[in-house]
Amino acid sequence: MCVGLPAKVVSIKDGMALVDASGAKREVSAELLDELDPGDYVMVHAGIAIAKITDDDASEAASVMGEL
Amino acid sequence: MTEEGKQAVAKARAILENYKGKKLRIMEVCGTHTHAIFKAGLRQLMPENVELISGPGCPVCVTPADFIDEAVWLATEKNAVITTFGDLVRVPGSEMSLAGARSEGADIVPVYTPIDAVEYAKTHPDREVVFLSVGFETTTPSACLAVQRAEKAGLKNFSILTANKTMDEAYRALKDSVDAYIYPGHVCAIVGTRLTEELTGEGISGVVAGFTPSELVTAAATLVELCSKSDEPFFRNCYPRVVTRDGSTAAKKLVEKYMEPADAVWRGLGIIPKSGMVLRDEYAAFDARKKFSVPSFKAKNPPGCRCGEILQGKCKPTDCPLFGKTCTPEHPVGACMVSQEGTCAAYYQYGGVV
Amino acid sequence: MEEKVMLVHGGGGKQTSELIHEVFAKRFRNLYLTEDDAAILPPPASNIAFTTDGFIVSPWKFPGGNIGKLSICGTVNDISCMGARPKYLSCAFVIEEGFPVKSLEEIADAMALTAREAGVSIVAGDTKVAGHGQVDGVFITTTGIGERLPGAHPSGKSARPGDAVIVSGDVGRHGCTILLARGEYGIDAEVTSDCAPLWGMASSVFDVCRDVHVLRDATRGGVGTVLHEIAGQSGVGIRLDASAVPVDPAVAGVCGMLGLEPLYLACEGRLVIFVPKEDAEAVVAELKKSPYGENAAVIGEVTPDEPGRVVMTTELGTQTVLPPPGGELLPRIC
Repeated sequence: MCVGLPAKVVSIKDGMALVDASGAKREVSAELLDELDPGDYVMVHAGIAIAKITDDDASEAASVMGEL
Repeated sequence: MTEEGKQAVAKARAILENYKGKKLRIMEVCGTHTHAIFKAGLRQLMPENVELISGPGCPVCVTPADFIDEAVWLATEKNAVITTFGDLVRVPGSEMSLAGARSEGADIVPVYTPIDAVEYAKTHPDREVVFLSVGFETTTPSACLAVQRAEKAGLKNFSILTANKTMDEAYRALKDSVDAYIYPGHVCAIVGTRLTEELTGEGISGVVAGFTPSELVTAAATLVELCSKSDEPFFRNCYPRVVTRDGSTAAKKLVEKYMEPADAVWRGLGIIPKSGMVLRDEYAAFDARKKFSVPSFKAKNPPGCRCGEILQGKCKPTDCPLFGKTCTPEHPVGACMVSQEGTCAAYYQYGGVV
Repeated sequence: MEEKVMLVHGGGGKQTSELIHEVFAKRFRNLYLTEDDAAILPPPASNIAFTTDGFIVSPWKFPGGNIGKLSICGTVNDISCMGARPKYLSCAFVIEEGFPVKSLEEIADAMALTAREAGVSIVAGDTKVAGHGQVDGVFITTTGIGERLPGAHPSGKSARPGDAVIVSGDVGRHGCTILLARGEYGIDAEVTSDCAPLWGMASSVFDVCRDVHVLRDATRGGVGTVLHEIAGQSGVGIRLDASAVPVDPAVAGVCGMLGLEPLYLACEGRLVIFVPKEDAEAVVAELKKSPYGENAAVIGEVTPDEPGRVVMTTELGTQTVLPPPGGELLPRIC
C-alpha cells in the first residue's frame, strides 16, 4: 500500500528535511519524527519522512534469522 | 550484500525449502508487498503447501467507484482543480476516469505529496483546489499535514476529499481466510506494533515485513518456522530497522487531531465499520464533501466481477471469468485490476511465470 | 528582425523569407538546400531508408539538448537503426506566435550542429506560425532519407534464440531529465538527457558484426518497451539480467521517489542491439569507443521459452516478468 524510499538527510530547517536518494534530492516533511539529524537515513513516503532507518537490510536479515 | 546478510538469506531459503508441515495460507495485506513479492520472485521459493494470498491493502483498489464519481463531479461541475496521487488518474468511475475528465478539459494535477497540493492552492488563489485523500495509516498523516498547513496559511480554497482507511478492522474481518498475515511494513512504521502484538490475543498471527528481497524472504521464513513450531498465535517484527513498538507518536497525534473514524465502504468488500477516517466537524471547511455539498453517488458493482472474493483470498484472479478477457490493465473492470499494485493487475503482468 | 515570431512570419511574404533565411537557411547551408520548391538529390547508391517523426517537448530546452537537437536525432536514429547511413532531412516547423526569435535561433543552431555530426544535410523545410495557445512553443517534424549499407538487414522480427541483448548505455536518462525539467514534483538531481545522433555508433556495430539481427533506438517507451516489442515481433522470450541493466544512480533515485521503472523512461540516444552471442563482446567493446557508449553492456539473452515475454532474473536468483509498458508515467504512492 505504501511505496517507501530510503534517503539520507542532508539538512533540516523549519520542519522540512532535504533528503538525498543516490543523487535525487527533495524537501520532505520531517514533522513526524523527533530528533532527526543530518546524516540520518529516513524512509520517505508521499513527501513525508515516516520513520528513521536504523540499520541496513543485510544486517537486519541477520538479526531476524538470529532470533529464530 | 554482506556475508552475514547472504548467510541469513541462505538460512531463510533453507527453512522454506525444507518445510514439510501443514498447509498454510499466508496473506500479504499490503499491495506494495504484492508487487515486491512478484518482483523478487518470492513465490518460487515458497513450499508447495504454503499459499501466498494477496489481500486488500491497495488503497486504490479498495476505493469505491463512487469516490472517482465524486472527484469527477467536483472537477466538471464545480470547476475545481483536482490534485491527486498519480495512482488514481486512470481508475475508472461509473462514467469516466479522471484521465477521461482531463481530456474533456478538467484540471487534474498529479502531485508527489499532499503538501504540494497546498502549495498549488496558494499559488492559484482564484481556483478551488481539492486533494484526493486516499491511503492507509502511512499516507493519512500527510493529508493531515496538508490540512494543517492550509489552516495555518488561512487558505480558503483548499479542501480534501477523504477515502482514508485503517487496517485493524480489516485484519479482524479477514482473519478466518488465513493462517497468518504478512503485516504492512510502512503502516506499522506509523502505528507501531502494539496493535499487531495485541491481535495475538484474538488468535491472529503475523509478522511485519519490509520490502527488499532479503526482508521478504526472511519474513516468510520466520512466518513458516513459527507456524510449524506451535499452534499458538504469534507476532514477530521482521522489519526492525524501520518499525518500532511505538511508531510515530507525532503522526498519531496529528491524525487524532484532524480526523476521526467512520464506517467505510471497501470496493469489493462492502462496509467495514469504523475502518475509515474522515475530517472532524471543526475542520468542515477543509472537507470537500461538506464544502461543496457533493451529492451521493451509488456506483454499481460490475456483473461477473469477483474482486470481493479475491480481496478476501477466497479465489484467485485466474478463477474470475472476466480476468484477462474483458478485464485488463488497459480496460479494467474490477477494483483489483485498476491499480498497478492490485492483485489482478499483478497477476496479469507477472502471470504464468511466477 | 523582430524579437518575437509573429503571425505575419507565417504569411508567406517578405517577413517569412526573412525568418527562413536569417534563422534557418543560413545555419543549415548546404549544396542541396536552395530557394526552389524542392531539393534535387543525386540517386542513392543502394536501397533507401525513408522515415518521418514529429517532435513536441515541454520544456523545449532541457539539460543535454533542446527540441532542435531532438528532432535531428530522432529521425537520424530511426534511419540508422535500419542499417542505413542518414543522408538528407527535411524539417517543418509550427511556431507559436510570440515565441522568441533568439530561442528559435538556439534551436536552429542545435539542429545544424547535430546534423553536421550525423553527416546529414537539411535540404528542405517549411515554416508555419500558429496563433498564441494553438501550439506549445514550437513543434518540429523531420523526414529523412538514408542509404542502406550493403548486406545490412536488421529487423524487429529477426531476434533468434541464442542472441545476446545489448544496450548502448544507461537507461531512462531523457525521460528523467524532462520529468525534472518540468519541475512538477520538486525533485532536484543532476541528470542530463542522453539525446545523441547514433549513426557513428550504429555503423561501428555493422563493422564488427556481419549479422546484426535487431537494432532499435529506444525512445518514448524506453528500453523496456523495445524489449517487449521485439519479443512479440520475433516470437521469442527475452531473459534479462536485472542487475546488468545500467542505470545512473540519480535516475534510480528519482524513479524510487516517484515509483517509476527506469526501463520505461524515455531514452533518445540508446541503441538496443540483438546479435549472435559470439559477437557480443566485440560489439560492446566497439560501442564503448563511442562517446555515447561508455556504459554499454550485455543485459540479457534471447530464449525459445516464454515467447513474447521479458523474464528477469532477480536478486534471489528466481525469475520474474518485466511487466508490459503501462502508458502515461504517473508518480505513485502505492
